[in-house]
Amino acid sequence: MSSSDASGDGRTGTTAVGTTDIAPKKPGVKAGEATVDYVDERSGATTGLKWYLFRNIPAETSWFQTLGFTAMMLFGLQAITGIVLAMYYKPDPASAFQSIEVITNDVTWGWLVRSMHRWGSSAMIVVVFLHMARVFFFGAYKYPRELTWVTGALLLVLTMFMGLTGYLLVWDQKAYWATVVATNITASAPLVGPFVADILRAGPEFGPNTLSRFYSLHMLVIPLGIATFIAIHLYFISFLGIAEPPWSKRRFRAKREEQEAERERAARTPYGRREVPAVGPPAPEREPARAEDGS
Amino acid sequence: MNRGQKEAYKRDYAQAKKEGKPFFPYAVYKDLIVATLAIGFVIGLAVWQRIPIGEPVNPATTDFVPRPEWYFFFLFELLRIFKGQGALTPVIMATFIVPNVLLVLLLVTPFIDRGPERRIWRRPIALFSGIAVVFLLAYLTHLGSEAPAGTEEVQLENLDPQGQAGLDLFLANGCLACHTVAGVGAPGPGPGLTDEGERGRGIEYQIEHLRDPQSTTPGSSMPAFASLTDQELEDLAVFLEGLGTKYTAP
Repeated sequence: MSSSDASGDGRTGTTAVGTTDIAPKKPGVKAGEATVDYVDERSGATTGLKWYLFRNIPAETSWFQTLGFTAMMLFGLQAITGIVLAMYYKPDPASAFQSIEVITNDVTWGWLVRSMHRWGSSAMIVVVFLHMARVFFFGAYKYPRELTWVTGALLLVLTMFMGLTGYLLVWDQKAYWATVVATNITASAPLVGPFVADILRAGPEFGPNTLSRFYSLHMLVIPLGIATFIAIHLYFISFLGIAEPPWSKRRFRAKREEQEAERERAARTPYGRREVPAVGPPAPEREPARAEDGS
Repeated sequence: MNRGQKEAYKRDYAQAKKEGKPFFPYAVYKDLIVATLAIGFVIGLAVWQRIPIGEPVNPATTDFVPRPEWYFFFLFELLRIFKGQGALTPVIMATFIVPNVLLVLLLVTPFIDRGPERRIWRRPIALFSGIAVVFLLAYLTHLGSEAPAGTEEVQLENLDPQGQAGLDLFLANGCLACHTVAGVGAPGPGPGLTDEGERGRGIEYQIEHLRDPQSTTPGSSMPAFASLTDQELEDLAVFLEGLGTKYTAP
């Protein structure tokens, strides 16, 4: 901490511990500081990170408001275990099942990584759904956070598509036939259904190419979509700030103070008369009601 | 929310932020605790309940139970509820209309509910619909998770040799995973077949439908049984045409 304040930029750190430290700096520390300053000067990274980390949020946040971050961490876990699995998995109908056997039986910790990836997918669905329920019951999707909700809903759908495409990759009987039914269902949809089904199956028939197609969707297309929407979602959250729980003590206090002020005003003007200013603008408490015509 | 209410919310939120705490460490520590617990839970499950290896894919045999992942059970159950006896509209209800209506409702929730009230006990419609959706999804998932009974004996009277061969094929190809015959098998997604013969569709229709279900029943989600031989298809078709007419449940 002291080192970054010594860089001369005193805007954020007013404590300025570094100025009292007059001992010569170690060369390692010096080089590190120089690197951080160099990068910050050209990218604003340190300044941005400081803003992000030390910006104020409402004092009372619920434990339920940690579920979004948890969902993101589970996505990270899926990404890491998925990368490890991809190192051993062979997306070819002739060897896909065998490579799953190798991962499970031969590769060191392979069974663990595969089990974690499978359980992680269920956990992610559960956490994303709970996160959505939290936002719904907190009314946190209301103004100004409507678009945050829309991106979140799309993330839920993408997460489910991850489950659908990943299910086939193990290439066992259950997954194979379940996916045959799933693509038949897609094909039954009116208008675009047959086209979407053809894209999914890589042709009119469910066959060997379908596996490569699902592999590509599962490994590249959908993860890219999820990462993009997480980025947009995070931007909205840091731009707007996290919602305050609607039953926060602060809000109750503010309401009570308002009511007390109202009572005081009433006491000052007996016989139920309202205080009317002789001249000038209307009373400030009437202002919200005035704008009711604006949708 | 009108403009005044929006301004009031922004003022109130600005005040909350002013009286607030920094994101780091006050929110970060909570986030990290819950995320660590969740990841620990996943690792624990992975160690405690290892994922087994299934049976390798064999497109030639359809001896299977087409089960999706548990989080698709509610859609799977919809297929059973709206199972159309060969009709197109109910199937599209389950596979297209209902899921897409749900999806659109999910996406436009913030544009439907625009009131300024955020406390859930003051939002009776939101409270009721939210709880209803959670319960409905849980109930449909539970129904969808119930494994179809498929191993019991199918009791049919007056089975001739060809009918017996058809029944054997019917059992071996896992048809009971989606259809019921004489009270045995899953009540969906496919239609019940106990009285299939009474519809009088004919042997040729049955063979064609088995070979390519979508050609005779557009919108069907049934897999094709094209890997069966001509003789096998005929046996199955004779068996199906006899159901309810020749081969009756006792």
